[in-house]
Parts: sequence; C-alpha cells; structure tokens
Amino acid sequence: MTTPLAKVRGLGSAHRGAETFWRQRLTALANIPLVLFLILSIVTHIGADYGAVRAYFARPLVALLMLALTISASIHMRIGLKEIIEDYVHGHGAKIMALVLATVFAGGIALSCTFALLKISFGA
Amino acid sequence: MVQFTLPKNSKVKKGKAWNPPPEGTEEGRWREYRIYRFDPEVGENPRVDTYWVDMGDCGPMVLDALIWIKNTIDPTLTFRRSCREGVCGSCSMNIGGTNTLACTLHADDAPEKVAIYPLPHLPVIKDLVPDLTHFYAQLRSIDPWLKTDSPTPPTEWRQSREERQKLDGLYECILCACCSTACPSYWWNSDRYLGPAILLQAERWVQDSRDERTGERLDELEDPFRLYRCHTILNCTKACPKGLNPAKAIASLKRQMLERGE
Repeated sequence: MTTPLAKVRGLGSAHRGAETFWRQRLTALANIPLVLFLILSIVTHIGADYGAVRAYFARPLVALLMLALTISASIHMRIGLKEIIEDYVHGHGAKIMALVLATVFAGGIALSCTFALLKISFGA
Repeated sequence: MVQFTLPKNSKVKKGKAWNPPPEGTEEGRWREYRIYRFDPEVGENPRVDTYWVDMGDCGPMVLDALIWIKNTIDPTLTFRRSCREGVCGSCSMNIGGTNTLACTLHADDAPEKVAIYPLPHLPVIKDLVPDLTHFYAQLRSIDPWLKTDSPTPPTEWRQSREERQKLDGLYECILCACCSTACPSYWWNSDRYLGPAILLQAERWVQDSRDERTGERLDELEDPFRLYRCHTILNCTKACPKGLNPAKAIASLKRQMLERGE
C-alpha cells in the first residue's frame, strides 16, 4: 500500500559513494603501469630458474612495485566484485553472503601476496 | 538473482495475422508490422500480431502506421500518442529493437519487418502502453523545480547568457523514458537506481545558476544506488531520440561529487 514516492525515497540517500568511485578510478589508473610491469617481469623471466626469480623479487624496487600492484589490484577487485554483486544478486541473505565472501577473497589475496613478497624480500 | 528470462505468464506467444495484403499489389506498397499485444482483461499471455500497412494510404512515420492500423484494421490496438512531432514523449516504444519515438522515426528507417514492443522492463498496462508510475515518482523525488531561500526578486531571477547556456542539452528532455529503459542497470535496479532520464533532470537543476540548494541536491543523489549504479555503458545516449547525452550529465554529477569531496 506504499505510495510510489515512498517506494522511491525508500530508506533515503546513503550519502556516500563518491569515495568508492574515486578509489576505483585511482586504482584503475595505477593498475595500468603496474600490470604492464608485472607482464614485463613475467616475460623477461621466461625459462629463468627459481633462484633468479627469487633474487629478482627480492630487489627493493621490484618488491615495492609488486606490493603496490597487490594492494591496488585487491582494492580494485573488491570494489568491482561488490558492484557486480549489488547489480545482480538481489536476495538479501545471498547478497550479504556474497559480499562477505568477496571481501574475504580480496583480503585473502592481498594478505597472502603481501606476506609472500615480504618473505622473499627479507630473505627469510 | 536478477531475473534474465520472462516470467511464465509474460512469455510472448505467436499471435494473429490480421490483413495479409491482396494478391498482385505493387512491390513494397504493403509493409509488415509485428506488434506486441497484451490485454490484462483476458488473462492470456502476450502475443505478437502481424499487420500489413498500405504505405500508399498512410503517413510516412511509424506512428502514422500505428494510427492507420488502429483506424482501418484493429481499433483495439492500444498505444499512447499526442503531439506527433517529438515534443510530448508519449509514443516512446521499442521499434526494431531500439527505444525511440514512433512519431519521429520514418518507416523507411525502421527494419524491413518492423517489430514493435512496449518500452522494455516496465510493467505493461495494455499493448504498447507501459506503466510509468515509478518513473514519474522518481522524477518527483529529485524535486524538479527551482528551490531558493533568498527573497524573490521583484522582476525575475537573473541569469547570465553563459549561465543559461549550461542548461542547453538538459532542458530539452521530454521524459519519454527511452534512455532509462535502455539501461541494463535500470532494468536490474530501478527500485533504487534513478536512471539516466531522472539523473539528467537532476543535473538540470544542479546546473541552474538560480537554484540555491545545489549541495542539498547533490547530498540526495550521493548514494551507491541512486547515482553510482551507472556504469557508463552509454546505452542512454545512444537511445535518446532527442539527441541528448544523459551519460554526460551523469558524468558531470559524479565530477561535482568529487569536486566537493576531494
């Protein structure tokens, strides 16, 4: 029995979204050179042995750039997954569950990559 | 999940062929129109009926063909129309797979066998008439009128030529809903996403130099769904029969959100 206007107004504006929009664009921009760097790193190490790759990743600049890629790509992925879930998953329970899983997935990737990079860099 | 297929009672069935053209008529004189029919009072699934229009006896536009069908073959065919010159926005429908105005589309510019459906993803009232109640409520929700706090000037609210020019490309919108109903984001989330037509209207009032509630308007729009469901796929701009650019208006709103936040 709700009026059309009440339906449209719903729970009101969330007064947020600009921050996420900005973060998504910023990480997208950062991802361009960083992913190119990743591709270049892979291509130049085709056929290289484990020791050489490990030594390459231990170089401070390489480690920093890879760390930057990990953080930037994870944030971007988390935002993207959230957008897709909000677009297509409409059941309330399923939506919350999917958002939790997406966060755990993106966070898990970020943490494990960071841990691996630090381990290699500090030579433990 | 989003529903990608039509519900069982909305599946479109093959309908009736009304008036096959007489034998031996000249080539190209009769044109085939396949039109979506739905009558809520009958309780049957929608169907697609086929009509043939005598182009020698009918005006040049697709709307003329619809009026010809209604007048000469089937008076039960239901559609909205009023100005017949692209100003009122009543005859918006999906013609040959594109949302547009029947009155400004020349029959020769439509595909060979013209398929005409109501605007997509809206409840259908009858035949080519969709229910726009929610769309109009969304327009109402953005307060599409001048809001001021200063005392009203004795003559008029002044505007410079440049300030007035900022409304060009925005004020011309006729609210036909072609853009909004061409937008997948609007299909899936129109309960919360305002859609390109309404956001273009919102931008029209945000840009109005005479309005004194710009920030308040932006506050109301700043929402992951109301504004940010737009993923810039530009279907809206492609669909607009008035040649406007709702995607640009939305981009401007997003830019202003950043301007005040960063």
